[in-house]
Amino acid sequence: MARKSYQEKLTELREDVLYMSEVVMERLRMGLDALEQKDEDLAQEVIEGDGEINRMYLDLEQDCIDLLALQQPVASDLRFIAASFKIITDLERIADLATNLGEYTMDAERDLFPDVDVQEMGELTLDMLEDAMMAYDTEDTDRCRELAGRDDDLDEFAERASEIVVRDLIERELDSTEEVERILQDVSRLLLTIRDLERVGDHTVNIAARTLYMVENDDELIY
Amino acid sequence: MTNEQMTSSETEPTDDQPAPTPGTDGLTDTADSGGETTTDRTLLEARDLNVYYGEEQALSDVDIEIPEKQVTAVIGPSGCGKSTFLRCINRMNDLVDSARVEGELRFDGKNVYDDDVDPVALRRKIGMVFQSPNPFPKSIRDNVAYGLKVQGKDDGDVDAKVRTALERAALLEEVEDQLDASGLDLSGGQQQRLCIARAIAPDPDVILMDEPASALDPVATSKIEDLIEDLAEEYTVVIVTHNMQQAARISDKTAVFLTGGELVEFDDTDKIFENPEHERVEDYITGKFG
Repeated sequence: MARKSYQEKLTELREDVLYMSEVVMERLRMGLDALEQKDEDLAQEVIEGDGEINRMYLDLEQDCIDLLALQQPVASDLRFIAASFKIITDLERIADLATNLGEYTMDAERDLFPDVDVQEMGELTLDMLEDAMMAYDTEDTDRCRELAGRDDDLDEFAERASEIVVRDLIERELDSTEEVERILQDVSRLLLTIRDLERVGDHTVNIAARTLYMVENDDELIY
Repeated sequence: MTNEQMTSSETEPTDDQPAPTPGTDGLTDTADSGGETTTDRTLLEARDLNVYYGEEQALSDVDIEIPEKQVTAVIGPSGCGKSTFLRCINRMNDLVDSARVEGELRFDGKNVYDDDVDPVALRRKIGMVFQSPNPFPKSIRDNVAYGLKVQGKDDGDVDAKVRTALERAALLEEVEDQLDASGLDLSGGQQQRLCIARAIAPDPDVILMDEPASALDPVATSKIEDLIEDLAEEYTVVIVTHNMQQAARISDKTAVFLTGGELVEFDDTDKIFENPEHERVEDYITGKFG
């Protein structure tokens, strides 16, 4: 095989990006579990684990820079490295959002808004992320295009959930200043949770968009 | 001077290196000085190295420490002295009447310009591959065996050594059934790998390469580049190239020579190509100068 060590480095990059995505998915799962179970220890673990993800990101960023500077990649190799360079940024941002879930857990009240199923929304985003990384791994462009449609569903879900929270807030009769304060904080956290999960979906579509560009040189999903 | 007349009394260990094993040719045997893994042990070292061709200075106060079993690339514009430096290492400049060398060039701690060093013996330990493939008009087998016979390593097991050298040079698979065919019948890339096999047959410590791929097409160049990286597992490779991208791709360390035979920067290759210390090096590698 021509340029053997270069090809090996490309393979390593792909494997390392996939590994990073597995760790990020695990953190997102832990963040959702912490939120659901009010598990502050688990939430703390997610928060403290963010540094590891940041180091992974910086290492992979350096790997991409080295490949660009030293190997002069062209054509599909260039697109693969450029796409990976962007995808690790999205993964790092998803990990930040998982960390947010941990932080919300640390001070959230529970079950004030039972009609908003944050866990269902979380499951949708996790499934999307898993599929996006599978598309990257297997260069499955059909899956990339399908993910964009699923993100529209997620956006609608987020919009409906936000409406429920706001409507409930308006209709709720609050007797004391303390109660107002408490529920406002909780509403704020819940809306932020919905927004963060919606953003995970956006980053997932970014990953699909870069994968589509990587495989087909098609920028249709990049916006 | 014959090998027997040479002494090794001037071979001295440096502070951080073990005492080398004395040889009969003024040089030392580095075979047991390290494993087959990459090390940072210095094998070649220049100190205040100056080279003149008549009145013209070709190298100016060069200080460098080249690590063992790594690929060191030497780059720079035409006339910067990079080939002169390479040829100093195995005293090929001795063949140029007007050349004068000052300073020290140490190979495993021993100055190769000491009076007791036999240049022919030195070149057994420091082989060289040139720009244009230059196989002899002999069979493939004899081309490789030549290196063993001339260099006194023909101990009767030539065929096995020929095959090993061809295998290390990533050529055996392609020529296995035609070892008696002429080396000149091979393609340019194969001829160059044959020359590499010839150079490594006597099992040297260092392989010097002077633009080894510049006369080859991209596919043959790729094979040579892969081979160079593989060779660095067993040998110390110093390669002169005018192709900066090639240096970036295959080397661990890069030395940048600029005008006047000045070694401006020597560092890890990724450092040189991502964040060089010197503005002149930045200008050269980005194409603003040279």
